[in-house]
Amino acid sequence: MNARFMSGFALTIAATVTLLTPATEAQAEALTLTDIAGRQVTLDEQPDKIILGEGRMMYAIAAITDGNPFENVVGWKDDLIQFDPDAFRKFEAAFPADAERMINFGNPYAGDFSIEAVLEADADLVLLDSGNLFKAEETGLIEKLDKAGVPVVFIDFRRNATENTVPSLLILGRILGEEAGAAKFIDFYIAEMRKVTNIIDTIPADERPLVVVENAAGWQPDFCCWSFGPYNYGRFVELAGGKNFASTLANAYSVTLSMEGVIDADPDHIIGTGANWAEAKPEVTSTLLGYEGDPNVNAEKIAALAARPGFSELRAVQEGNYHSIYHQFYNSPYHFVAVQQIAKWLYPDDFEDLDPQETFNRLHDEFMPYAASGQFWLSAE
Amino acid sequence: MLPMAEISDNPSVDTIVGTYRRRSFFRVALVAAAALVLFTTVVIDVITGPADLDFLRVAHVIFQPSVATPKEEVIIWDLRLPVATMAVVVGAMLGVAGAELQTILNNPLAEPFTLGLSSAASFGAAVAIVLGWSVLPGLGAIFVTVNAFFFAMVASLFLFMVTRMRGANPETIILMGIAMMFTFNALLAFLQYGASELQLAQLIFWQLGSLARATWPKVGICLVVLAVILPYFLSRSWALTALRMGEEKAAALGVNVSLLRLMVLGGVSLLSAVAVSFVGAIAFVGLVAPHIARMIAGEDQRGFLPLSALTGALILSGTSIASKAITPGIVYPIGMITSLIGIPFFVSLILSQRKRHWQ
Repeated sequence: MNARFMSGFALTIAATVTLLTPATEAQAEALTLTDIAGRQVTLDEQPDKIILGEGRMMYAIAAITDGNPFENVVGWKDDLIQFDPDAFRKFEAAFPADAERMINFGNPYAGDFSIEAVLEADADLVLLDSGNLFKAEETGLIEKLDKAGVPVVFIDFRRNATENTVPSLLILGRILGEEAGAAKFIDFYIAEMRKVTNIIDTIPADERPLVVVENAAGWQPDFCCWSFGPYNYGRFVELAGGKNFASTLANAYSVTLSMEGVIDADPDHIIGTGANWAEAKPEVTSTLLGYEGDPNVNAEKIAALAARPGFSELRAVQEGNYHSIYHQFYNSPYHFVAVQQIAKWLYPDDFEDLDPQETFNRLHDEFMPYAASGQFWLSAE
Repeated sequence: MLPMAEISDNPSVDTIVGTYRRRSFFRVALVAAAALVLFTTVVIDVITGPADLDFLRVAHVIFQPSVATPKEEVIIWDLRLPVATMAVVVGAMLGVAGAELQTILNNPLAEPFTLGLSSAASFGAAVAIVLGWSVLPGLGAIFVTVNAFFFAMVASLFLFMVTRMRGANPETIILMGIAMMFTFNALLAFLQYGASELQLAQLIFWQLGSLARATWPKVGICLVVLAVILPYFLSRSWALTALRMGEEKAAALGVNVSLLRLMVLGGVSLLSAVAVSFVGAIAFVGLVAPHIARMIAGEDQRGFLPLSALTGALILSGTSIASKAITPGIVYPIGMITSLIGIPFFVSLILSQRKRHWQ
């Protein structure tokens, strides 16, 4: 039995004791939890000045919060504004004063994320995504924040998206005091995921179609392809009953495919991801999917992507199986929508009755502070 | 190399002429042999890849394009051939650039990478990728390449100005180059810190180099630049060889040393700026290729220069094959592999070199 275990044990007892103590003030309860990185963190009280290491954490926070999702947040990184401006404007329209109030703390792993600014904002919690755990340890960020008395909690909707979404939602629910909202959303998440996996489980491995995922198709106009190994969109494809091509090559999060390898593999489907990057990077040729996605614009964009040299001759493209889907599903708990849509592309007959758009609308009606709109996926004609 | 004893002790005219002829023949034979080896690696480069196409089929598609299926046409003509030729041309450009930098600066460590030209190009690309700034607005997709070229040329211009300074000697230029390399690397790291996941993935291309983006127009531009500059350098071989005997001796033989240095630096800048702006920073080719060439052919530029070009091309062509062989279907940054090959070679070179080439 080592010292860490003992101290953890002691903390658990302490937490239990705290819980047993009749709460005179709900705010004063200490909260001990284990985060996605496996670290045990104790918060002295319910945090109400949280800094988000990524603005896109709002996708999850908004889904589980009853009321104003910005209530306990003081600042974030501006990635939501940069890379999903459509969603940001949705938040801005629903909560104009709060969106205005958000302090941009920049990249938590960069020099410009100063501990002073964190203290200045009087923050009581920094939420980081676990994909960057190593970096956070390397730069000493956790230690420094710790010294300053600001705890750090890791969550993850990206690196091991399908595995970590439920625990991350549970953690967020406890931190934000939205356990009921989190539980309700988790039920929804599980039910929607099972609608696909229950059917896919009956399909033998050798009958599953080969799928190439093109991460951020058109981000670099002259290059193909970044892909995912058995993580993230690669995993979504596997859950939706596809054989993910990059997973057959490497067990890595990110895999760079050679165009020739893709041609030689002759995939049944190609799925590229796209989002409204054109505002931050005008030269992208990607599909501009999102809450302001325009079907006419995207039809042109996807036609151009499917006509790139090397692509136009592919069987998948000629058979109308070149698809494009909203990139940001890769960093949000709504990826069940992507899994449903991919399953529908791969097995149109088995999932004839499944309507991912309806799932997406229901998600917004039941959980989100704004309504669904725009376009989130399409296939090349 | 021929033993010096043959031409000592009052040699007859016939002996001297004979030795010279033999040496010329030896040089031509060496260059021809290197070219032959290079041709072989290019053939291997073109016939290997994830798609299973045998030698005869590839040859058939190349010499009679009409027989190819659309898939074969894309694989051979749009993917493999541009990459294989790009490897040869860029390798040659870097080999020549390194050879002449080492010559005019009289330093065995000089090459586009150590002098900061590659770092400048990477920084230029990073400015485009992370901040979206373009030196020439309205270029569309190629603005990253243009930025890289622009910054590499600015860095060269700076080195140029240093050579014009009063009291500037080769050491000043080298040290300035190294200072620049560190400056640009620091600035690059600064930009990396703020970059998103996708931007970082894009930056890796510039820092580690890749041939995956080769297209015929890019190959064409590189070929034109090489075709203009290499003959110019060859035409100055005599003066450049003289320079290797020392600045004073070259000057005594009638070489305008500072003008020569300036002209050659201009040519080298163009070569390396064009090369890195298309394939990213590829380390060690510019450093190692001239060293190998020098060990085989000696200091005479008429042998040294073509051999440096061929060796550079050979290294990069070999790397291109290796990068495909690691895991078929996955692209590995090529600069990573050249460094891995380059470092052990470089170390063995340092440890084994007994003869002092450098004053």
